[in-house]
Amino acid sequence: MRFLFLNHVQNAFQSLRSSRVRSALTMLGVTIGVASVTAILALSGGASKIISDQISSLSGNIAVIRPGIATDPIISITQPKLNHYYATSTLTEADILYIKNTPHISEVAPLMVLSGSIKASSVAPSESTVVATTPGLANISNLKLREGQFLDKDLKQDAVVIGTQLSINIFGTESSIGRILTIRGQTFTVVGILKRSNNPINYNSIDFDNVAIINFTEGKKLNQNVAQIQQIDIKADSIANLNPAIANISKTILKSHNGEKDFSVLTGDQISQSTSQLFYMIAGVTTAIAAISLLVGGIGIMNIMLVTVAERTREIGIRKALGASNSDISWQFLIESLAISISGGIAGYICGYLIAFIISRSFLTFDPIINWQISIVALIISIFMGTLFGLYPAFRASRKDPIESLYQYS
Amino acid sequence: MAVDTLPPVIRLRGLQKRFGIGDAENLAINGINLTINRGEFVAVMGPSGCGKTTLLNILGLLDRSVDGEYELDGQPVSEISKRKQARIRSQQIGFVFQSFNLVSRLNVIENVALPLIYKGITRTKRLQIASDILRNFHLNEREYYMPCQLSGGQTQRVAIARALVNEPSIILADEPTGNLDSRSSHIIMEELSDLHKRGNTIIMVTHNPRLTTYASRVITMLDGQIDTDTRNITKQPVTRHRKKSARKLKRGKK
Repeated sequence: MRFLFLNHVQNAFQSLRSSRVRSALTMLGVTIGVASVTAILALSGGASKIISDQISSLSGNIAVIRPGIATDPIISITQPKLNHYYATSTLTEADILYIKNTPHISEVAPLMVLSGSIKASSVAPSESTVVATTPGLANISNLKLREGQFLDKDLKQDAVVIGTQLSINIFGTESSIGRILTIRGQTFTVVGILKRSNNPINYNSIDFDNVAIINFTEGKKLNQNVAQIQQIDIKADSIANLNPAIANISKTILKSHNGEKDFSVLTGDQISQSTSQLFYMIAGVTTAIAAISLLVGGIGIMNIMLVTVAERTREIGIRKALGASNSDISWQFLIESLAISISGGIAGYICGYLIAFIISRSFLTFDPIINWQISIVALIISIFMGTLFGLYPAFRASRKDPIESLYQYS
Repeated sequence: MAVDTLPPVIRLRGLQKRFGIGDAENLAINGINLTINRGEFVAVMGPSGCGKTTLLNILGLLDRSVDGEYELDGQPVSEISKRKQARIRSQQIGFVFQSFNLVSRLNVIENVALPLIYKGITRTKRLQIASDILRNFHLNEREYYMPCQLSGGQTQRVAIARALVNEPSIILADEPTGNLDSRSSHIIMEELSDLHKRGNTIIMVTHNPRLTTYASRVITMLDGQIDTDTRNITKQPVTRHRKKSARKLKRGKK
């Protein structure tokens, strides 16, 4: 390519400057697309970070067992699995027993998320969840109570602990100790109210402000006596003992599952893979916006580049007559479309962070993450688009017949 | 290639170029045999539509003949790849068009430096060379003008400067003075004949019989064929005007 590259870059920016409005409008498509991608990644990164902060604040001796094989984070963002409701969990009560009997494990709490309406004087909104678990959850997840107490072996089985917001929603007050609510037609007595955590994104995938926590055995009863375990939280007696204990558990469960690796044990940062439903909704919508705007933006680039090629037919003829080869011409136009897409991408990266901060400051409880990976993704998307949608116009330009081009408009 | 057996720069044999198809078929060039040696100044004349420009385009590797042979420096053009042809255009051939064909987006010095881009010369060097050659054409004060701000004569001088900037051995000029008044024409013709004296091969298409006085060989074309081919024109006495402009040019080149 000799020294042509720099020259093409200068040339491209000169030509973009000569039609500012047109270039800016073309860039806008890329900008919106890249902004959406950046916002998604920044927010999802922020969500992951908040969970990993939770994990490390819980002194790092927590592990989580989930059914199925852990997928990588990008796939779990773009193809969220609604395993709460549809998939049959591969974790069984027998597994809980194994884990309990493993040395160095101090607490075990299975989580069974149930669907079903919560009713008292009014019906709870649909974002409320019913979770059946064991008393150990309070210790593992460090749940603080506003009033009353958490579930306990010694209490009656129909006890329920509810979140502050749920209490307000169904009783109209934050203090509802001793009041009675119904879940799937069965009555439960409120024994405790959780302190407001304002933290819907956590590794339990449960918004503890909007939850009704019942005993595991009661939960099973509501579910035709079938245990459906979405997750098992475990806590080791010390950080050093966590890994050996996990290895032990993995081996035992694997054996009892006939050697089928249908579960995953996650520790530390692995847990922070974000799983919140709320987050999936945001991510799903923005991914769709991003995909559409990237496509439309790309078509815009191609369109403008074709116009540019047509406008500069004569220049192409001159350049060819002066010794430009076909590839020189196609590079010239390809670099111009790359200049559009990369400039748009940089603008999109900045806008994406603005959007992410606006969203997080107004609706969410965490800040978006800032790291180099996101900027690389934004750059790669821009380069990919500039190349993909610039290739055809560049090819057309290079194929122009010099004679016809030279005598156009003359 | 031995020095003593240098092949002619251009050798055409039975060259044909067809436009249109079927009933509308029209032979723009109908069997031209022509040999041009190094250092000749050929003026090509003829009525409009006799195929002069097409011939020039084929000679400049911009167009392809449909039939016949074209050897450039002893090498058949049909065997040269497109990329190689672009390199030959870049390094050996300089074009001067009737309609100037400057890139209107670029200023004078950038236009002149344009061919150097494709020779792979760095930007600073390019502008230096372009500036030098513009000084030869008394255009050094116009370096940062845009083409639309120049007069016709200046524009054509810029176009010639651009054709010469990569030091081509063959210069193809398509009515270089077609749009100019006689004074500007003579300045440009002086420049071309000066190039000729320095050993360059020049092929010029023109309508103006007066300009053939500068050439060492005059070809007239008719209906896509060579009608007459006159060599060794007796050098006409240098007119007062020519003397004056020649002096002017020499002073500029010091």
